[in-house]
Amino acid sequence: MEEPDKSKMKTDCPEKQQCMQLLQRIMDGEATDAERQHFIEHHLNECLPCYQEYHLEVALKEMLKSKCTGKAPSDLVEKIKSAIDQNTIM
Amino acid sequence: MDEAPRNQYSQGEKDRIFHQEFMPHVNSMHNFAYRLTLDADDAKDLVQDTYLKAYRFIDSFQQGTNAKAWLFRILKNSFINDYRKKSKEPSKVDYQEVESYYNSDDVDRQITPDLRVEALKDMIGDEISNALNSLDVDFKTVIILADLEDFKYDEMATILDIPIGTVRSRLHRARNLLKEKLANYAKSMGYNNS
Repeated sequence: MEEPDKSKMKTDCPEKQQCMQLLQRIMDGEATDAERQHFIEHHLNECLPCYQEYHLEVALKEMLKSKCTGKAPSDLVEKIKSAIDQNTIM
Repeated sequence: MDEAPRNQYSQGEKDRIFHQEFMPHVNSMHNFAYRLTLDADDAKDLVQDTYLKAYRFIDSFQQGTNAKAWLFRILKNSFINDYRKKSKEPSKVDYQEVESYYNSDDVDRQITPDLRVEALKDMIGDEISNALNSLDVDFKTVIILADLEDFKYDEMATILDIPIGTVRSRLHRARNLLKEKLANYAKSMGYNNS
């Protein structure tokens, strides 16, 4: 996404509440394509608070995914498989 | 979990479902269990118990439906029924109290904390993970389901047995609480957020 000229953007969003609700739905993949397209391609080019909030949400989601996920311990997988085998025999 | 058996799978089908549809989610399941229990041993036990229950009730799993959501629901219920009671750090906040406070007159009230992308991106250690872990379990859960595991609202509603509207408002609150914690952290590290 091309960086808009921040000096020309609105510093106050007249529809902040609706925008924040829409932003949540966009982040969660629940917005329609039209809503998403309008918000990202038009609204974010002219509204500084929404632009900043959107980028914060995107960064937070990326950080959560990279910092808060991981692999299960390898012995756990083996333990589960052998527990199931025993369960099956019983 | 709907425990009424709907199918009668053969032994071969059971094994195929278990290994091909259930086991691939073990990393996500373990991460969820660890963040709920905050204890390495409890997390392993919880995941193992969940998989054993899944196997035992496999006839109530409908092939073609979302296996991951089905497993997460069993894990969440096992945690509430078997682990939350004996948890070393029981939830300090009463569930009803939290829900009624955050669902009070203005669910969509904006309390967006002042946090900047730059400050967030400088958190390269465990700050975000610790902040997530420190949230009350109901808030932590919705962030894990939505942001780490990409569940949709309707799937989350099924996993958590709550209406979609509650999923949406709880998630919104949870993200604001997380940002608030991170903003406080950034402030303590000397970031000027204004």
